[in-house]
Amino acid sequence: MKLTACHLILFAALAGILTGPSGAQEVAPAAGAADGNTITALVGEPASMRLAAGARAAFLITERRADGFEADATETAVLSLSEPDKAVIEAPGVLRARQAGSLVVIATKGTHRLEIPVEITAPSTEPVSFVRDVLPILGKSGCNAGACHAKADGQNGFRLSVFSFDPQSDYRNITGGARGRRIFPSDPPESLLLLKATQTIAHEGGELFGQDSDAYRTLVQWIGSGMAYSHEKEAALSRVEVLPAARRYRKGAVQKLIVKAHYTDGSARDVTALAQFDSNDKQIATVSGEGRITVDQVSGQAVVVARFMGMVGDSQVMVPADQLLPDAAYQGLPVNNFIDELAYARFRQLGVFPSEPCSDAEFLRRASLDTLGILPTAEEARKFLADPDPQKRAGVIDRLLQHPAYADHWAAKWADLLRPNPDRVGVKGVYILDQWIRDSFRQNKPYDQFVREIVTAQGNTHQDGPAVIYRDRREPAELTTMFSQLFLGVRLDCAKCHHHPNEKWSQEDFYRMAAFFAPLKQKGGGISTPISGGNETFFVVAGGSLKHPVTGEVMPPQPPDGPPAAAAGEADPRQELAGWMLDPANPFFARAIANRVWSHFFSKGIVDPVDDFRLSNPPANPALLDALAGELVRAKYDLKPLMRVILTSHLYQLSSQPNETNAADTRNFSRFYRRRMGAEMMADAIGDVTGVPTPYPGLPTGSRAVQAWTYKVDSRTMDAFGRPNSSSDCPCERNIKPTIGQALHLMNSQVLHGKLTSSEAQARVQRLAAGNGAPAEIVTELYLACYSRLPTDEEIQLATASFADHPVIRRRAIEDLLWALMNSAEFVFNH
Amino acid sequence: MAIHRNCDGLFRRDFLQLGLRGAMGLGLCDLLRLKAQASGQPGVTAKNINCIMIWLDGGPSHFETFDPKPEAPADIRGVFKTVPTHVPGVHFSEPVSKLAGVFDKFSVVRSICHKDPNHGGGNHYMMTGAPTPVPVGCGAFVTFHPSMGSMVSYDRGVKGGLPAYMAMPGNTRSGGPNFLGGQHAPFIVSGGPNSDAFRVNDVVLPGDLAEGRVNSRRDLRAALDKMKRCQDKIAEDPTVEFDRFYEQGFDLVSSAKAQEAFDIHREDPKVRERYGRNDMGQRFLLARRLVEVGVSWVTVNWGGWDTHGGLEATYKGDMLKTLDQGVSALLTDLSNRGLLDTTLVLLLGEFGRTPKINPGGGRDHWPHAMSVLMAGAGIPGGQIIGATDAKGYYASDNVYRPEDFAASIYTKMGINPHQVLETTAGRPVHLVNDGRLIKELFV
Repeated sequence: MKLTACHLILFAALAGILTGPSGAQEVAPAAGAADGNTITALVGEPASMRLAAGARAAFLITERRADGFEADATETAVLSLSEPDKAVIEAPGVLRARQAGSLVVIATKGTHRLEIPVEITAPSTEPVSFVRDVLPILGKSGCNAGACHAKADGQNGFRLSVFSFDPQSDYRNITGGARGRRIFPSDPPESLLLLKATQTIAHEGGELFGQDSDAYRTLVQWIGSGMAYSHEKEAALSRVEVLPAARRYRKGAVQKLIVKAHYTDGSARDVTALAQFDSNDKQIATVSGEGRITVDQVSGQAVVVARFMGMVGDSQVMVPADQLLPDAAYQGLPVNNFIDELAYARFRQLGVFPSEPCSDAEFLRRASLDTLGILPTAEEARKFLADPDPQKRAGVIDRLLQHPAYADHWAAKWADLLRPNPDRVGVKGVYILDQWIRDSFRQNKPYDQFVREIVTAQGNTHQDGPAVIYRDRREPAELTTMFSQLFLGVRLDCAKCHHHPNEKWSQEDFYRMAAFFAPLKQKGGGISTPISGGNETFFVVAGGSLKHPVTGEVMPPQPPDGPPAAAAGEADPRQELAGWMLDPANPFFARAIANRVWSHFFSKGIVDPVDDFRLSNPPANPALLDALAGELVRAKYDLKPLMRVILTSHLYQLSSQPNETNAADTRNFSRFYRRRMGAEMMADAIGDVTGVPTPYPGLPTGSRAVQAWTYKVDSRTMDAFGRPNSSSDCPCERNIKPTIGQALHLMNSQVLHGKLTSSEAQARVQRLAAGNGAPAEIVTELYLACYSRLPTDEEIQLATASFADHPVIRRRAIEDLLWALMNSAEFVFNH
Repeated sequence: MAIHRNCDGLFRRDFLQLGLRGAMGLGLCDLLRLKAQASGQPGVTAKNINCIMIWLDGGPSHFETFDPKPEAPADIRGVFKTVPTHVPGVHFSEPVSKLAGVFDKFSVVRSICHKDPNHGGGNHYMMTGAPTPVPVGCGAFVTFHPSMGSMVSYDRGVKGGLPAYMAMPGNTRSGGPNFLGGQHAPFIVSGGPNSDAFRVNDVVLPGDLAEGRVNSRRDLRAALDKMKRCQDKIAEDPTVEFDRFYEQGFDLVSSAKAQEAFDIHREDPKVRERYGRNDMGQRFLLARRLVEVGVSWVTVNWGGWDTHGGLEATYKGDMLKTLDQGVSALLTDLSNRGLLDTTLVLLLGEFGRTPKINPGGGRDHWPHAMSVLMAGAGIPGGQIIGATDAKGYYASDNVYRPEDFAASIYTKMGINPHQVLETTAGRPVHLVNDGRLIKELFV
């Protein structure tokens, strides 16, 4: 990584830590040192191979090194075969079997030698199967991607289902479509399917494979042998395995992957050439279409997934810093609770050292904004800073968690996720739901109860808040999408129409989940009315059922990865769904909410995005996420104990200034990640700091921005700072990026200008200008109000320079100073 | 070859005639060729074409504007006479007689149609090029897909502190960014520009701040804002981007050219008169000033066109006079200033109106036919594109869908309409789904 000035300054600071009282002076040897590179052993994967004559299979050779790393030696080792007539090495790590028999693959590097025994069976006599052999080729070649033949109307008249969600229709379209032109059984190479794929005749998608490829041979064989759909006893795919499963890499390393498909009959085959690969963090590692990982120059962690026929396997990539720090370096760090222990364990592996502790002022401002959404008052800040009690941060945490503003702040967060479009459900419904959410947080309702009330809601949309969600999401499929994403952190939405492209979720999984909502009925005013309109009542009528849209099969209710629901009879099957969700053993529920709460305080989830848990998007620190979820279960889903643990941790109390080791860390929280204030927070902060609150049309006098219950409450400030617009169909997390509109609004808006120049008695500028405080005192108050800290001497000097006794000049100096402070990063950001 | 379509899509016969290739939109080569000729003028590239969209929310009548049916029975043709244009055989309706006089500057597409008769859904379809996936009620404001303005902002970004997408006096129903993110929502210019007190909010200095004071504020801020930034990109420090926007914001405030553009009061009073001294006319003028200084997309949002009753009074009244005068002044002004080559002008609502006048003396929602005015950016003047049937019920010749409309606009502005975007959920979505170009706009 390139060193920048800011790194160098911080490196000096870090060096101070490392040579400080902990006594850790040494750093581990640098990468590339001769000793570290010494090979201690060669390892082959798989340990042995079995394949049919004519087939090919991949293998890996790995060297173990003295520095504890393993590296891919498949391309650097010398490879040979004990019986060169029986097989051939087509490419490094790829064996093609020729005739039946036994042999060994021999790999040598330096003084090290390794053998992999190979068993070659007679050539396969099994006919080629469409499902088992042909569909994977179409998938790998991209034919059934949404941009190609799986578009709604297909491409050039040839239509396939997205990711093969409907193999029977694909089979029909290939064998019977275009009046049979696609397939020419008496002369397979003349089939349109092959002429197009090899671009023998014009094909907009280009050449997908050549005539000398396995894919081509398989298709020719399939067409020539009668085009079987599947075998009579064809084993189903049970699992996809990727080798190596996990590895630590040096920067710049390359690694070949191999992918094995395991079937229900216990058989396995090499599908490396048919798998599709993807890396979740391309800054850390990229992967080629053939499954070759290239590690970049950034330390961190990534996962590479291989997809094959709806199943996913993964290979974990960890890239530590060039220099790992000795354990002793970490021993002096404060451990306030389990969060710190688990976070430091990760830091050690990655060679990351946490930033310095934040100041008292930073802590107070940060904790107050995160917990309550409001800035500490100047008085609160002054008192806190002066308090000599070493336990004062714990005192603040207790006070914040008991503060009445807590409820509105957290309710607004949930309203983002639950609030429907008032044009759709009517303003009264939106209001009723909003009040229910606020009331839930006012009572500190346990989160499992909050969710149960939503998932099993019945009743009238003008009385029962959660019922309004059902007025908005009217179909079982919509509820499935929403609830699985919000409460389980699983994005099932893709599986509504086709197999999830990156996950194991199938359409069956989706519609089994949707079946829980099938018995729900409504009566009342529908949603055609434009404004406010009527109301509806939702209730359960036993016996509703839901059909799979492709197969037409009636789907029994069953949660994803959960047990089938018992026959519901007269009861509401949603009770059973809620029971499964809220069970302490549920693999999704507690982790999803723990992650969501975490992301609120740390800017990012341990899984990020927070509602996208999947194998290909793993947690940055799984042990930490599990421990947080455990904490919630222990507290019976009272969210406040979890928040207390988070606020108390040393991790939360780190500075936002990076050091030499952690500038690149954007996943493991080794520094506080800066984030700008949200819309309501900013609108309220402007009112609080200037002492001139904004009146909101349609809300009771004295209401704060955070209490607005619909986006239709007029506010330019909230619009500029990205309040979510519930007319947008997208349960989006808020956009926290800075924009030009925000800069222009703070710089120039009449709103802020009016508050700075206000002559109302309670306006801060007016009060300070009219009072007889000395300029330095005024500067101090403004710093405390905006930043919760005292100004430095230099700042006082700069800020008082334009003050004068003349009342007009004095007033202007205060206006200008407050304007400058509020237009600075230290104000706009939570840091 | 004429392509026959109805709003259900292509007739089967067309498929056979066209072969499989032509129906699904143009290939890349066609696009490149068309891009190159987005405008006939040398030096004009698609990327410096800006757009003014005048949105008539509620849905204007095609009969009383650009597609009169004088031969139809009285309960269809209405009370207005037709007026000739310079093109023999092309007549407009009396309420737009000034526009008839400047027909040399624009084309009218008479054959855009869709099937959503509700305001919410129709707005969404015409504003984004995508239909709503679920039925949407009439009063609704919805977004399921990025609006064209937001997409242009996404494509071009902020230049010189100017937001790329602005809307007056408020956003349209489906004019939002959806998954492109809040930074691509329109910058709203509220207030009535006909008023002497009017100023564009947030981009000009507030109150009566003197320039010297602004500079000293800026210096004070620079001296005090000392929170350390980490410039290394890998640290993802958001304060770095914040600084960039402040620099641009200061540039905008100190740019004499930009500040002059925002100040409509500096416009020649005679020009202001020509647009009409009312808020809407002055918004058209302000829109011209904004694109002139480099704003990429300006939407003027004008409600009140849902004439279920009182059609005659409305189309004889001030609203039509304002429209007719303002839009013809805008086209003439752009043309006189040589701006029409780089400025695309669109005038439309979400749908047309029913042919039969209802008992209340109005016309109801009718998405099966509508007229859209399109000008500038190389679009020929004096051209009627497509046609409706003899009584104005259905688009009948060279029928185009909203997808085609959006694809044409994107192509004019140098944006590939067939590109695939990714939603926040990671799902790939075509910007325009199989839109083909309205070829008459590219001759």
